[in-house]
Amino acid sequence: MTNAVAGLGLAPDAAMVTFPIEMFLPGSDISPVQARKREFYDGLTAWRSAFAADGAGEAPMIRVEGASVEDAFARANNLMLANRWGDGLPLWPPTRQRVDWILGGTAQPRRRPLGTFPPRGGMTTIESCAIALAMAGGRPEYLPVLVAAIEAFLDPESGSAQLQAASGSAFPVVIVNGPIGAAIRLNAGFGCLGPDPQRPAGASIGRALRLLQQNLGGALPGIGTMANYGGLRYTNVVFAEDEANLPAGWAPHGTERHGFATGTSSISLAFANGATNIRRRGAKKETPEEDALQGMYRMADFMRTPNMPGLAGYEHGTPGVLMLPGVVAQTMAGLGWTKASIREFLWEHSRISAEHLRRAGCPAWIEIDASKVVRESIDLDPWPITASPDNFIIVVAGGGHPTNSYWLQGYSPGVVGRAIELPPAFDRLLADAERDLGPR
Amino acid sequence: MTLSGGPPMVTLEFHDPSGAIEVKQAHAPRVRALAGKRIGFVSNEQWQAYRMLPLLKTLIETDFPGIEVLPIDAFPQGNAVIGSEETAALVKASGVDAVIIGNAA
Repeated sequence: MTNAVAGLGLAPDAAMVTFPIEMFLPGSDISPVQARKREFYDGLTAWRSAFAADGAGEAPMIRVEGASVEDAFARANNLMLANRWGDGLPLWPPTRQRVDWILGGTAQPRRRPLGTFPPRGGMTTIESCAIALAMAGGRPEYLPVLVAAIEAFLDPESGSAQLQAASGSAFPVVIVNGPIGAAIRLNAGFGCLGPDPQRPAGASIGRALRLLQQNLGGALPGIGTMANYGGLRYTNVVFAEDEANLPAGWAPHGTERHGFATGTSSISLAFANGATNIRRRGAKKETPEEDALQGMYRMADFMRTPNMPGLAGYEHGTPGVLMLPGVVAQTMAGLGWTKASIREFLWEHSRISAEHLRRAGCPAWIEIDASKVVRESIDLDPWPITASPDNFIIVVAGGGHPTNSYWLQGYSPGVVGRAIELPPAFDRLLADAERDLGPR
Repeated sequence: MTLSGGPPMVTLEFHDPSGAIEVKQAHAPRVRALAGKRIGFVSNEQWQAYRMLPLLKTLIETDFPGIEVLPIDAFPQGNAVIGSEETAALVKASGVDAVIIGNAA
């Protein structure tokens, strides 16, 4: 809570009276309000901020000493955990040398401001990104993707200011389109949401994003973020669309959603707070048409649930990201399916009856929503989980195997796109990666 | 001293990753005393605010005779509206000396 107002340009403290969560639950004992009434009175009269009004300061350099490289490395890691800068996994200390190396991934000035990171309000620069990427084990050729992702994250349209602190455990999903994905070894295929030493870029980029969320944004569990569970937050979700396996006539996500020309390296950032595998394939003697249709029903049925995170992006965001493997997309395209017809089907068949909404208490959430479109949707029966089929994100990604698809449940007020800006010497960085990591 | 007890031999210097914070505006000044003042509530109607804020209103009125505490619903309520410029303008126009905002959890 101490970060709650800093992102607004105010000092990161405020006159607050805090109570255990139990007092905020239905039927609670609220007598502590009376017992601590003086704290409310003091907050109105005597409280003073501990921060000066012009309290901007440069972050200092940190020094550790050790008997050996390993000893110094261990001390640096201990210090970063003690200062709440780490995530529990080993970190590269962001030395000048390493950060300067990472900065080779951009032609932009290192001090170029990108905004203030909510809710704490940490001043975010190109250098901040390089520091986080250095800590996360990244490489310079990853920096353009991270910078674009941070620009999108800090765009108010993303909703990050609220989602950083909220209890719903939102994590950013960064979808990369264009040639940069394969060039920097970003996974689009088997295991693209998990660890892969052959295609390690997504883990470092996503981890760096998370470190920025925590270290500049103040999103420490139970302090700056009230996320109940925080799933997928070690590395967030960063992957490339499998454009090599896009069926003919299917546009890349960046083109469909954001209007980037095909072949443009770009990112698209949304938020999700759930991830699940959906068994899509049939098991016996289905025809190709039956196999595709049954899979579509199974995915829509999974989405037809009276859980309310989709409200956040009901009007302009997304109810979620559906990932289809290239082999499935190819087969479905051969049967006449398009991304647009898949969206229409999912929208139509994921609608929830008013009776199901009522018994789950959903109308109350719909009635108090900030969006007029959401509030007015309460009259619809069955109720669509999003205002328009266009809000569904369909991407082709995942291993070349037909059994499964993947659903990232959206909790995303907006979906923000950014073109990726490459430095003039980018090809040299790729050659360095080839030298360091072996052939792609 | 080092973890292994020997003399320091290797120095690592690295960036503080927490960056800097820019404070652009000060918090509102506090009132010197509550007696005779006009106090408002801005409620999001969540987390038992409908019970806690009226209790607090009663406590303030009891402890500071002559104070004016506006009704809980004097301003728009709900998370959807309390952060808006419109609500801020209403609060300002009401002439209150101080505002209590609740509830967060």
